[in-house]
Amino acid sequence: MSGSRCRRQNHGGRCNPPVPLLCVLLVLCLSLIAPPAWTKQGERIGPETLAQVFPDAERAGSLSGNPLAASVFKGGARLGYIFSTQDVVASVGFSGKPIDILVGLTIEGVISGAKLRSHNEPILVIGIPDQALRQFVDGFANIDIHHPGRVREGETFGALPDVISGATISSAVIGDSIIRAARTVARSRGLLKTAQAKLRLDRENYQPADWSELRADGSIAYLALNQGKVEQAYRDRVAIPGAEFLGNRSPEELYSELYTGLITPPRIGQNLLGPQAFNRLLGEMGPDDQAILIAGNGLYSFKGTRYRRSGLFDRIQIVQGDKIIRLVKRHYHLVSDLKIAAAPQLREIGVFVIPADTGFDALADWRLELLVSRETRQGGRVLLDFPLPYVLPAFYRIGQAPVASLEQAGQLDRVLAYLQQQLNDGEPALWLRNWRDRAGRISILVGLLLILSAILVFQDNLVRHYELYRPVRLIYLAVTVVWIGWYAGAQLSVINVLTFAQSLLSGFHWEFFLLDPLIFILWSYVAVTLLFWGRGVFCGWLCPFGALQELLNEAARLLRIPQISVPFALHERLWPIKHIIFLGLFAVSLHSTLLAIAGSEVEPFKTAISMHFIRHWPFVAYVGGLLFLGLFIERFFCRYLCPLGAALAIPARLRMFEWLKRRFQCGHECKLCAVRCTVQAIHPNGSINPNECIYCLACQANYYDERVCPPLVAKRKRRDERAEKQAAYLEKASR
Amino acid sequence: MKIGPLPSLTRRRFITIAATGLFLPGGATARPRRFEWQGSALGAQAKIVLYHPDAGAAEAAITACLDEISRLESQFSLYRPNSALGQLNAAGQLANPSHDMRRLLHLCRQYGELSQGAFDPSVQPLWQLYAAHFANHPDSKAGPPPDAIRAAQRRIDYRRIAIGAADIRLDPGMSLTLNGIAQGYITDRVADLLRAKGWSDVLLNLGEIRALPGRAWSVRLTGDGPSVALTDAALATSAGAGSPFAGPSGPHHLLQPRTGRSAGRYSSVSVLARTATAADALSTALYLSSPERAADLLRQGGGQQAWLRQPNGIVRHLTV
Repeated sequence: MSGSRCRRQNHGGRCNPPVPLLCVLLVLCLSLIAPPAWTKQGERIGPETLAQVFPDAERAGSLSGNPLAASVFKGGARLGYIFSTQDVVASVGFSGKPIDILVGLTIEGVISGAKLRSHNEPILVIGIPDQALRQFVDGFANIDIHHPGRVREGETFGALPDVISGATISSAVIGDSIIRAARTVARSRGLLKTAQAKLRLDRENYQPADWSELRADGSIAYLALNQGKVEQAYRDRVAIPGAEFLGNRSPEELYSELYTGLITPPRIGQNLLGPQAFNRLLGEMGPDDQAILIAGNGLYSFKGTRYRRSGLFDRIQIVQGDKIIRLVKRHYHLVSDLKIAAAPQLREIGVFVIPADTGFDALADWRLELLVSRETRQGGRVLLDFPLPYVLPAFYRIGQAPVASLEQAGQLDRVLAYLQQQLNDGEPALWLRNWRDRAGRISILVGLLLILSAILVFQDNLVRHYELYRPVRLIYLAVTVVWIGWYAGAQLSVINVLTFAQSLLSGFHWEFFLLDPLIFILWSYVAVTLLFWGRGVFCGWLCPFGALQELLNEAARLLRIPQISVPFALHERLWPIKHIIFLGLFAVSLHSTLLAIAGSEVEPFKTAISMHFIRHWPFVAYVGGLLFLGLFIERFFCRYLCPLGAALAIPARLRMFEWLKRRFQCGHECKLCAVRCTVQAIHPNGSINPNECIYCLACQANYYDERVCPPLVAKRKRRDERAEKQAAYLEKASR
Repeated sequence: MKIGPLPSLTRRRFITIAATGLFLPGGATARPRRFEWQGSALGAQAKIVLYHPDAGAAEAAITACLDEISRLESQFSLYRPNSALGQLNAAGQLANPSHDMRRLLHLCRQYGELSQGAFDPSVQPLWQLYAAHFANHPDSKAGPPPDAIRAAQRRIDYRRIAIGAADIRLDPGMSLTLNGIAQGYITDRVADLLRAKGWSDVLLNLGEIRALPGRAWSVRLTGDGPSVALTDAALATSAGAGSPFAGPSGPHHLLQPRTGRSAGRYSSVSVLARTATAADALSTALYLSSPERAADLLRQGGGQQAWLRQPNGIVRHLTV
């Protein structure tokens, strides 16, 4: 976030001291950072790598083709390919830096092995044993990319390995890049059995067409049966003699003719029925239902008459693959005439809705079967089916899902689909799945943020009622620690800031920031509140570790643990530490993200929040130490060490609203708030330092409290005295 | 495979072996390649052989065939409780029957009439009686007691199957088996499907054997029987020894509704017909009918040739 703030300030021309420095640094590193050197055309795969990634192979060719991949051989036979996910899908990890995994893929489309060559994943750097990571990547061996299932939090799908506990997003990213890269290579080399990209039915495009065009291009299929043909079919397909009995009909006489077609595509349906009837029909159908037209002429009606009583059309059925779909009266719409130009005379026209739960696939071939029944000469009855095959013309199968088709979908889905379309990379994006899978958590977080917004907007009303303000504050902090932090793992970190700055340098991708929906939403909220009220909204309300410190200190006070008040002169001089840490991390990140990520371990967030203290003991000891100090000096870490707080403090003076109220006595006659301020953000002169303020509203509660705020206390006393005097006077007078 | 629900692998395997490899190259076309699918269908080994220049087309055709087999199995299988037949037997009625169910039951009725009740799909209660009896008395020679057989016989009559357009109903206590005809029917449907897609030069062995127009296929009959050239025709064999209840000479699955006993005139009956349905139904009907009726039955039922093999090895050959 700091990057965008920085640019904004440049344009605005009002920069605080650290900001121009940052901008200079940004510009500098633009020229310094060279594109990373990954595999290149012509590179050869070494025998050791080959043995790991493709154990069956004897030798490998060099990387070539598009996308880059090396063929591997045993004897003269090609066994498959080896490629780097970085080359094929430009895989980036959660850190925004490239992940490079070498993957072997057999010509059958099975992954022979995978090996992580390099990565900058923050969560993976420290705390996750290398062994776990290797096992995770190794687990992709023998997965068939035709049915890979998917990696998702807390569940294993298909044969894919479990995600690494505590490194959910990173491992999902790794899994996603392996499978996507393997599919890309498989598609390019013609290995995929389902070579077609995922297609869907065109339900949007309308172009005028007349009957003859629809007939000619196969949109409408046709079957004609005359008496002779039916007789011939009985002879050929029913061996019992006598069933072909014709009666006294001429062989040329029309027995039945049938037209059928899928009419859900507007080019077919709207032309046939006219826009009004077509839209009415669509309105009555479910979003995934299909509709077909069946129309006919001739002696033998496809409808018959029995359906009126039984509800079942007993002369027609749809067959698709191994499914039989019966047509029933309640899905039948009588059509009196077709609106399309050049339509033939049709005696019977019907539209049948095929509900989605029948499993009917509009893209797959199907056939309409007409059942004919004849008496044999012996008086028996022999039935025979006449199939009318339907193959949907290829131009009704289209690729991406546009927004317009998603009217039935929820708002969130529509936004996601839109973003997906913008990204447009064919495969369903990992971030999109993340958002879908976490819809529940997203709604809870949004609810929490709405509550916080209400607290901020109505802060004056809230703080006037101390008895209400205190529990609201404590409960909110508890929710922040337990739900946002420990349960949902949504602890923002300075790594996010560094990564964001990095991405501005090396190419910004929304996709990457959208990977973790909760983090994305939180950052968006923090960006807005940063502009409105300053950095305190995050630090004081949404930071799980901050909330943890404050709650622990609250408990310490209850237990009467003495609190240390840092002399202001010293306090003031300790503030810069956090800024120095942040700038140091920022500078390091320009050189090496890996190093900066290691350095960001100065943040106790990963240990205390993301990993629930389950870590190597030095980390736990560090966090324990910070929390212990926090018992005596409230929010010790926030005050002096937090690089994230420092980063957020840079643009804090930009805030648009100054809602924290002060009296003219503040700092002169009274320093109560300054003493009570949890982070000592109030200068002795009474002014609130926005760089340090965590917006806890404690000073505002004081401000309105007649029993606490000395000017109000004095006022109240005067009032009480006056009232007393008056009462005394009245009493006297009445005597 | 006629009326018993146990798939007689013995006989199937035999036919399969007899049919493999012995094809005669027919009219040579533009270098078609031979594709062969082997797997299981209808609870037994199955095979599809076809010729086409393009592997993708062959694979797609076989996939379509397997879909069709699966579709019809879920109609006619006695072993799938959720099949349409399973539902009909369980509930005594079946609403919204598929075209295929109605077609096949009407055909059963035809063959019932033609064979004067020898062919009867409602023989299932009798089969169940035998199966239960031999399950409890594996060493029994005689079969179930006569009064139990008579009770089962009272529940057999194909004419009491009410085949309506909107539902099919059975009398109380009735239950059906389509094992004497369904394999032939499914073979025909698959053949129709391939023909509609323009295929020729195909041999199907889905329990019954059928060859599509084109190439001639040589199929050898049971035992040391003669080889038959099959072109655009079907061949089916019924053999009591295929699934005996007890011992090779004991009662078997081919039960005569009229006597309540398994038939003993032949060791096997093979029928060549235009369709596999006819061959399948006729081989069962001939097996269960008296020899005097054989020629008429074969002609009226649409058969072309029949080989009636007696236990002493003598084969009576009928040609229409």
